[in-house]
Amino acid sequence: MGKLTIGCFSSLIGSMSLDFAVKLAGAAIEKGHKVDFWVSGNGTMLSIKAQRPFKDYSFLEKPVKELVAKGMQITACEACAEARGYHKEETMEGFKRHSMDWYLASTFDADRVLHIGGE
Amino acid sequence: MKLAVFVSDYRLTADTLERLTSDKLGIIFVSNGVYHATIKEKGNSSALLKKNAQFYVLHDDLETRGLGGSDIAENVKLVSYGELVELIFNDYEKLAWL
Amino acid sequence: MATVKLGFIVQRPPYKSENPKLALTHAIASQSVEMYLNDGDLVTADLAFVGDGVLNCLKNQKAMDKYGLTSTESHIKSALMLDLSVMVCKEDLERFGLSEDDVVLDAEEFGADMVTKVVPYSEIAKMMEDSNHLLFF
Repeated sequence: MGKLTIGCFSSLIGSMSLDFAVKLAGAAIEKGHKVDFWVSGNGTMLSIKAQRPFKDYSFLEKPVKELVAKGMQITACEACAEARGYHKEETMEGFKRHSMDWYLASTFDADRVLHIGGE
Repeated sequence: MKLAVFVSDYRLTADTLERLTSDKLGIIFVSNGVYHATIKEKGNSSALLKKNAQFYVLHDDLETRGLGGSDIAENVKLVSYGELVELIFNDYEKLAWL
Repeated sequence: MATVKLGFIVQRPPYKSENPKLALTHAIASQSVEMYLNDGDLVTADLAFVGDGVLNCLKNQKAMDKYGLTSTESHIKSALMLDLSVMVCKEDLERFGLSEDDVVLDAEEFGADMVTKVVPYSEIAKMMEDSNHLLFF
């Protein structure tokens, strides 16, 4: 089985690129692959806990927690999060925060890297 | 190089994609990129479909937009998320999201 | 000991999108990635500006004066200072009526030896071929 590193810089609500990335991560884990997931820029919005589900907005806290429970590693860019006022105490359980080199380090042993740029 | 390119927009990406070269090229239509697989502007299919590549379209993103398997061009293969994972790991070495 | 090469390709113009800046800051982060890896293992980053992305490389940017923000020009100079390879597509510059004289070519003031290379697209395609993974911004 392989390792897929996904980087996504799109915001939680808007383009649905994060929805795509989370579903792809789920499909990869389902097939037995390891997945590392990095969010940076507006993508760090995904890391905030207590997202309230509305049918009009993407809601990814539940699937992300389920994937973390299945072994997905998910990390937000700390500087990008802090710049947006998303602080550590507001971070979803299971989400890590690191500097950008975490993402690059994750690519080292990744078999595939899917980098999804932001808007 | 075996390159799979995710096309996620209907506009904007043609220039970059036009210049990408690869021994084996896969073009995967996701998000609003799925319109490349379905729409015929003034009767003409998307110019992207003339490229020397294998074409795929994500079923979920097609159905999300009110489209289905019967709407796609003949040379485009319908894929699920699970099949996309197989493509990524088995058929292509590098990935690009445009 | 192994080296993984990442190709960062910037295709968007600056400022309206955060993408070009994030490309540069993530590429620069390759300099500190070793703390996560075994001794001798490396992740390297090569940067290429193509299409509208070449507009990131214009010199005399005043983002700091006008908006209090680090300019893309400064980030390019930082990348050069850290010995990252920076390429700009010659054909795309010419498409905009621009030349080598218009782009950030060096960071001599910071003692950088590395310079920006204005190259034909074919050289950027080769970099992509040689990279293990591609990141489009």
